[in-house]
Amino acid sequence: MRKFRPLIIALLLGLTVWTALYAQRRMRRGMDFPFQESEDQPTPNDADEKTEFAFARLKYPNWKSNDRMWSMRGSWSIDYPKADRQFVQGVRRLSRLHVRSVEQVVDLESDEIFNWPWIYAVEAGHWDLTDAQCKKLREYLLKGGFIMTDDFHGSMEWDIFMLSMKRVFPDREMVDIPNKDPIFQVVYDLDKRFQVPGIVNYPFDQTYEYDGVKDTWRGIYDDKGRLMVGACHNMDLGDAWEWADSPQYPERYASLAYRIGINYIIYAMSH
Amino acid sequence: MFELLFKYPYTVYQKGSLVLQTGWSVWWWVAATVLAAAVVGWLLFTKWNNGKRAKAIVLWTLQSTMIAIVLLLLWQPGMSIATLKPQQNIVAVLLDDSKSMGLAEDGSTRREEMIKTLEGGLADGLKKKFQVRYYKMGARLERTADWKGLTAQAPVSRLSDGLAQIAAESASLPIGALIVMSDGGDTAGGVDRQTLATLRSRRFPVHTIGYGRERAEKDIALMDVQTPARALADSRLGVTVSFQQRGFAGQKAKIVVSENGKTLTARDVTLAADGAPQVENLLFNAGNAGPKTVQVAVQTLNGETNTGNNALTRLVQVDSRKPRVLYIEGEPRWEFKFIRRALEEDRSINLVTLLRTTQNKIYRQGINTPTELEGGFPSTLDELFAFEGVIIGNVEANYFTPTQVELLQQFVDRRGGGLLFLGGRTTLADGGYGASPLAELLPVNPGERRTTFQRDRATVELTTAGRESIYARLEEDPTKNVERWKKLPYLADFQAAGTLKPGAVVLAEAITEKKGRLPLWIIQNYGRGRTAVLATSGTWRWQMSQPLEDKSHEVFWQQLSRWLVGATPGRVVAAMTRTVFSDERTIPLRAEVRNKQYLPLTDAKVEARISGPGGVAATVELQPDPVSPGVFLGEWGAEKPGSYLVEMYATRAGEEVGRDTVSFRREDGVSEAFHSEQDKETLERLSTQTGGRYWKPDEVKKLPEEITYSEAGITTREVKDLWNIPIVFLVLALLRGSEWMLRRKWGAV
Repeated sequence: MRKFRPLIIALLLGLTVWTALYAQRRMRRGMDFPFQESEDQPTPNDADEKTEFAFARLKYPNWKSNDRMWSMRGSWSIDYPKADRQFVQGVRRLSRLHVRSVEQVVDLESDEIFNWPWIYAVEAGHWDLTDAQCKKLREYLLKGGFIMTDDFHGSMEWDIFMLSMKRVFPDREMVDIPNKDPIFQVVYDLDKRFQVPGIVNYPFDQTYEYDGVKDTWRGIYDDKGRLMVGACHNMDLGDAWEWADSPQYPERYASLAYRIGINYIIYAMSH
Repeated sequence: MFELLFKYPYTVYQKGSLVLQTGWSVWWWVAATVLAAAVVGWLLFTKWNNGKRAKAIVLWTLQSTMIAIVLLLLWQPGMSIATLKPQQNIVAVLLDDSKSMGLAEDGSTRREEMIKTLEGGLADGLKKKFQVRYYKMGARLERTADWKGLTAQAPVSRLSDGLAQIAAESASLPIGALIVMSDGGDTAGGVDRQTLATLRSRRFPVHTIGYGRERAEKDIALMDVQTPARALADSRLGVTVSFQQRGFAGQKAKIVVSENGKTLTARDVTLAADGAPQVENLLFNAGNAGPKTVQVAVQTLNGETNTGNNALTRLVQVDSRKPRVLYIEGEPRWEFKFIRRALEEDRSINLVTLLRTTQNKIYRQGINTPTELEGGFPSTLDELFAFEGVIIGNVEANYFTPTQVELLQQFVDRRGGGLLFLGGRTTLADGGYGASPLAELLPVNPGERRTTFQRDRATVELTTAGRESIYARLEEDPTKNVERWKKLPYLADFQAAGTLKPGAVVLAEAITEKKGRLPLWIIQNYGRGRTAVLATSGTWRWQMSQPLEDKSHEVFWQQLSRWLVGATPGRVVAAMTRTVFSDERTIPLRAEVRNKQYLPLTDAKVEARISGPGGVAATVELQPDPVSPGVFLGEWGAEKPGSYLVEMYATRAGEEVGRDTVSFRREDGVSEAFHSEQDKETLERLSTQTGGRYWKPDEVKKLPEEITYSEAGITTREVKDLWNIPIVFLVLALLRGSEWMLRRKWGAV
């Protein structure tokens, strides 16, 4: 034991120094971090307008984990409602779609979801759908609904995402969407896509999270070759919509995120 | 009784003319009668002048009448009438030898009853007075020695042809009269006017003897079956079955529609009252392309006397074409997606869509080539006329150029295409259609109010016309169909389409909370085509808000698209007057040919290429109809019964204009089983219009005598004395007896 004492002291000293330095880094970042989340968004004057389309955000139950920090990270309401409202402003401006200025929160508990044939699920790597919700989502998608998932990263979140998705479609494969698929052509030609980082990557010298180094564009097709599920993995389009008005968020990422979102909506409304 | 009183048959009085055989003027008789009446009056009124004037008048009337009759007898009245010279005239007896004469009633067939009539005295009676010729009446009229060769097996009885043949023979034969012994069922179309006119001009009396029950005791008889002559593959087709029954009122029967023994659809019905026409509508799927022989049958019930009239065959030409429908949508809408999905499942419809996704982008789907519709909505006739139907979604009126508006009008009017307008926030009244020439095409007057589109819920109910329309059928059973419509989820939105134009028909109404009932689905015919408004863009909820297996939405749009393009003609349209020719060999052929602009083409060469049973193949060149430009006519004799296929092929200057295929079926003998009740009306009409008489078999004893009085053939004119007819003496006795009775009563004897 005696002979290990210097090593133990060195480790404790190293840990103390690292902790102090890490705390200083977090403090510096908190002071300079330009993306402050706020749910206090003003309600637009035309919020009650009856429109053809509304940004329908899916509310889902979370995956329970022993890792408290990880568990706290993801939820259905991430970026809500600013991302939704800011994105639809772009949809209004860039397409002919008649869009409501405010989002619509839907869940898989009631049949209300069938009134919104396009839904968006953020942080889908944290969802944990019940069997009944899986069944409803399957029915929704087979009838003609479309789900776009976003802002989940790395293999662990992918696996959790697929645990529910496999119960939605046990008999269907999640496949890579080829570039020639109409979803990448319907409004904008999106052959050359790249990873869209979240604000956690600020100042964007790195664009991936966890081990999700490469952006992946996957989906599940129905029997007629139409996409029902569009899984945008290893990217954070929601953050790009939310912070498109921020000078600190690079325009090239925001632009791509808008184009992808518009393509996914118009695809869902035409296929 | 008539002859007992009047001595001669009624015909003598009917056909003869009154003559006075002494040759004295009738005025002398009048003068003598007046004089005698005056003398009698003077005697009576001078004697009975004290309050008995009325009685005197009665007696004067009786006596004067009697004197007038006695004086008339002095003038020797008689009936002058033409009579056939004995044994110098021919009486033609037409014996019905068709299958219906083999029907058994009360233990014997009609043929046997007919023979019984002939052998029971009619043949001998005729033979005593005339030369008698017997003819068997079937598909042709054949001379026969007597009635022993009758078989009641002829597939058809051509009464009209038979009478026409006899009329023709009469030019060289002294035919005095015709006797038709039949059940009256001329299954080849009845006696035509020309034959009737010939008979009347030759003064042939046609005497008819009717066989068979005038009313069947127990029978279900199909009267008619109507199906569309052509349809697109997988179309839902309606078949209208008309029938009547006797003896089974209130009982259940099954109507079965089948093809080659395979049941396509069936329905149990409750039979209506005896003799009441009953109409039932059934639906079936047209299935794959090709000619389809459909048999419609009402199930035979126990005790039915004639089971041969329970089924009819119809032919439906199921087209292999896949009409193209162009759908332009002004903005992304859920309706667009779900219409596309519904029609993608329809293998008979080829949907091409244009979606205005952004201000400057149009997304094309279903196009044949990368350059097709590159410029958006068609601006040339060739581009637009390549489609058979057009759907206009939420597109404002001023999006279309004047040229495009004119093309749309020609597309419907001349091309014969279908045009459907959907509701939306920038279409119909809200899209400025009220002030646009496009309003001309709408089945409604949209008005110019701009707040007609509402994103509020509305349920749907079929109107009376909608309940009857095959295109509004989500369920085969009409009652269930109405209920199914009522149970559909509410629409996501609705639009006040406007006021109906004359000729427009509302098939469905939207039931709204604030606006009440609004016309939702309105159709009309326009020129050679048709237009419609579906004043909503919210039927997609029928897909999303119903169970996954529910097909209401798909069926609705597939039916609607068939309404849109099902009747859109090609450049060559082959037409048949009907699809089944029963006992008719001459088949009329007709084709309508148009050029690329769909204007009538008069200088085309049109051939009908016919193939039929047993390798029958023929080519008939059709000739232009001088009256109707673009119409070509021809005829062809189909000898063998069976199904035939006719391809009309049109060329011009060596280039193909187009082709179209139709089918027809030839049948022999089937129709004999129909109208199996005695057609007394036809027989009576024939005899009445020719100066003959309708006879029941047990009355024919007097027929030979009555035939004598005919003006046809070799006749002589004779005068029948009237002075000795019993009625005269009876009248005289009555007059005298009455006077005597009155005188006794009044005490003046």
